[in-house]
Amino acid sequence: MSETAASTDRTLRTGPGRLLVAVYGLFALAATARGGYQLATKFGEAPLAYTLSLLAGVVYLVAAVGLARAGRTSRVVALVSCGVELVGVLVVGATSMVLPGVFPDDTVWSNFGGGYLFVPLVLPVVGLWWILRVHRMERGRPDTP
Amino acid sequence: MVDWLTMTIQVASLAMAGWCLVSTFRDQPMVVPHLVGMGLLWLLVLGQVGAVIVTVADGDRPAETAMFVSYLATVALLPPACAVWGFMERSRWGPAVIAFACLVLPVLFVRLEQLWNPVV
Repeated sequence: MSETAASTDRTLRTGPGRLLVAVYGLFALAATARGGYQLATKFGEAPLAYTLSLLAGVVYLVAAVGLARAGRTSRVVALVSCGVELVGVLVVGATSMVLPGVFPDDTVWSNFGGGYLFVPLVLPVVGLWWILRVHRMERGRPDTP
Repeated sequence: MVDWLTMTIQVASLAMAGWCLVSTFRDQPMVVPHLVGMGLLWLLVLGQVGAVIVTVADGDRPAETAMFVSYLATVALLPPACAVWGFMERSRWGPAVIAFACLVLPVLFVRLEQLWNPVV
């Protein structure tokens, strides 16, 4: 059992997962720092946008840690946080286009992440693909090696 | 900030990114020369950070100091953090991590220059 667990631990954060963790880590830093800074200095201007930036940062952080730890539980954590991100970037992106008044200042997810080369839009899709792929690879393997 | 040093860092960083992308597509893992390259890049970055600290100590500081310092800390830590994370991976995805870091670094320096010298 421990052997299977060990190989699971390795798969999610190795290969493409290694790059994913790096990208997620940087985005966690960027969004958290941005949201935290804006909340601290100019909360009154756009509280919703800044809170959302901070929330996005926390979700990225959870996803990065989930991918990096890569146990069975943290895989579920990573899966959920990637899902939350995808919904977040789609909802906030659409809202910022249709009702620009809701967000007076930009967030990481505004205009579908256009301010960040659309990485916030692509990242959760790649994340979900990778987690499901690892999950399927494991299903395909016999239980006793 | 020393302008020519920023330029040098950006060019060196992009060259490093190109080299690592080639390694990724050739299916090569990270090797010691990659690590040496990252070390040299890091030295350049630390040189710039040192120059900035000296200037700030003289009393010449950017308007948004907190933001500037957080960007400065990020550029100082990004090369070693990504080099270690990439070197741990013994496949083509090691250089891919470095390539990503080296593509982000020039952008961070553009932001640093903007904060240092805001164009009104």
